[in-house]
Amino acid sequence: MALLAHVDTHRGVETAFGKIIPEREAYSYCLRTIAAFSANIFQVMRVLNDDWEDRTSQICEIANMMNCAACAGGKDELFQYLDQFYTDWNIPELVKRSAWIGGIWGDYGDEAEDMAGRVIQFTENRVEKELDSCPWDIVGSEMCNMTTAMFTANFDIAAGGEHGAITNDVALNMCEARGCGNPHCRVVAERLDKFNLEHQDWLDHRGQPTQPVHDTPVERRVSHAQGLRNGQYVQAFGEENSLEWQYNWVAQMGWVWSISFPLIAIRDMAEDDDEFERILRIVFATAGKNSFVDFFAREGLRSWLDIPRSIGDNDPRVMGAYIDAVLGCQLVPHEFEAFDGEGVEIRVSQENFEGRFEMAPLEEITMGYEAQWNGACHTLVSPEWSVWIDEDDDDYIINVGRKIDDRAL
Amino acid sequence: MLFKEDEVARAEAKAVRENAGWYRWTHDLVEVTGADAERFLDWMLVNRIAGTPEGRGKYTTMLDEQGQIIDDLVAFNRGGGLWWLSTLYGPHAVRWFDAHREGFEVAYADNTQAWDMYAVQGPNSAKVMAKLLGQSVDELKRFQIVDAHVGDIAVVVDRGGFTGELGYEVYCKREDSAAVAEAIAAAADAFDAPRLTTLEVYVRSLPMEKGLALRQDYYGLTPYEANLGWSVHLDKDFFGKEALEAAHAAGETRSFVGVEIERDSYEDIAQKEILRKRGVPRGYVTQMIYGYTVDKNIGFAVVDAKRCPVGTRVTIGPNDSPAVIVEPKWL
Repeated sequence: MALLAHVDTHRGVETAFGKIIPEREAYSYCLRTIAAFSANIFQVMRVLNDDWEDRTSQICEIANMMNCAACAGGKDELFQYLDQFYTDWNIPELVKRSAWIGGIWGDYGDEAEDMAGRVIQFTENRVEKELDSCPWDIVGSEMCNMTTAMFTANFDIAAGGEHGAITNDVALNMCEARGCGNPHCRVVAERLDKFNLEHQDWLDHRGQPTQPVHDTPVERRVSHAQGLRNGQYVQAFGEENSLEWQYNWVAQMGWVWSISFPLIAIRDMAEDDDEFERILRIVFATAGKNSFVDFFAREGLRSWLDIPRSIGDNDPRVMGAYIDAVLGCQLVPHEFEAFDGEGVEIRVSQENFEGRFEMAPLEEITMGYEAQWNGACHTLVSPEWSVWIDEDDDDYIINVGRKIDDRAL
Repeated sequence: MLFKEDEVARAEAKAVRENAGWYRWTHDLVEVTGADAERFLDWMLVNRIAGTPEGRGKYTTMLDEQGQIIDDLVAFNRGGGLWWLSTLYGPHAVRWFDAHREGFEVAYADNTQAWDMYAVQGPNSAKVMAKLLGQSVDELKRFQIVDAHVGDIAVVVDRGGFTGELGYEVYCKREDSAAVAEAIAAAADAFDAPRLTTLEVYVRSLPMEKGLALRQDYYGLTPYEANLGWSVHLDKDFFGKEALEAAHAAGETRSFVGVEIERDSYEDIAQKEILRKRGVPRGYVTQMIYGYTVDKNIGFAVVDAKRCPVGTRVTIGPNDSPAVIVEPKWL
């Protein structure tokens, strides 16, 4: 197809050196950077709390509560919200609210997050969802459990009777999870009455279903969700979300469910804010250093961003271009104040930088990225160069510059 | 998603093809009234609605300004100036009517919440219905709609359905739904006709084998591209006619076809999965399903009309599942 035919419709993120990162690649990268941030946050949690059951229960409970709260309001408002959902998604009236709306709800979220797979079965008594890929599969087992708590909230909201209460009539099991090493994620919901099952507690959601599962053979698995392979997502009843909608949605909501929600519980695991922030900075600094310890990672980045050879290895623009690409792919508006061999300054509003989802700003983004990028800068460029973030009225200035710090992390 | 190994789904499909089966299947229901109701519907809908006898219905599409399908539905003349539109997109239809009602004395409402609906389908469905209603339904013609009773409960019955078999639809007030379901179950039991529980059997598998498509399959096509030219009446005025005529005169560039894949299952094929001929995108699949009567993985697709005639070998999806273009009807 001639390039001109696509110029108006094919978009991308421009690097500091004029190369265009195609929209689909930028979207995919955006997802993985959010997942990586989440993985770092979960490492902080593991340092703070060495009891797997305890920390998992805590993040499950908070994630469930927050997902329920996402639909705030009284019973009437809840039903109004659900009615609108039914209308917008053209869900047939026969699909029981008490159970299966959660399955449809979850599917569009999965697909937006490039958790690629399929609804294997959708019947009155059983729903089975199988995922072949998950950008969040690096976060770890607590995350897999936490997502089942969020699904429970979807089902509870749909039940609609007692807002936020665990009233539902299904057993929900993530009987396989990529974050735990399985080839698939597989979530199965089975009606309690139909299959003679008991209500579950937070740590019961990794059990096996009563009915056999369908295991998609390797040759028919997929690497990416519908948006990335076909340009849009189509749900079971024919309604569509564009790639653009999905990208914008996930650039907001990915931060909410995988970082904001668990952070509420994780912060409480620390003795005080100082301890939490100290550990957070250490974890993120280490992650940053490890990003570019391999020479081929540095060469790969140069190629990806199209950094010319006239810019040497020990040049702050290499790091500045990297931060610029991360922000660009994460759909965060920003601009360069300086971009030369003396240093880089990137201006970004605090609201945009921390408020990826406007209603739930995250100051941890600033703390985390400052430590991570500083660590990364030491291996990507050299320890002569550092990254720090200054406040400037309502903006942040992200600096890449020379800095001597006798107590550097 | 249905698989050939699913014996529950297979049994449900077999029951409808060889005996009878029943299920709850609520279309959205838009009621249209007013002095200009018939004239309004005749303008909004492609098929000839004016003159539809009382107690009869017609299948039709509804078009946008580009002459492309935005809905397909059955319009029933319920008599006394009342029309029922049986659609899957009631709220959408109401919004569309709101935008185009100027000049018509017409009222309409999405009354889906007031009515429930059950389908009884299969070659023995007339026997089930006779037992249910206590009277024969043999005289009912296709898309004929009548008032009836299930015991003391007033219901509305039409001869129709979405399986391609002889079938009937029973409308009842929501508050009577449980009692009507119980009565249908009892009548069906007498003929060993099961209640179907697998949505995709009666929404996709049974209909597709008979060439019955959903609005989501046709959306954005012209009626001619969708093989629904028979329902177009260019000798009357209707919304989108001018654009449709122009597109038809220019020749259809897309065609609505069937596809059969030559693999055991279709887990990697979603709706709108890309279809390629010799590696070049030439269309998309609208849906795929397993057909238990034909014992094949079958689907509908929209393809380049010129390059993909029946018999063309193509591939579908990220794993290049081999497939062949066929007529979009298997039984």
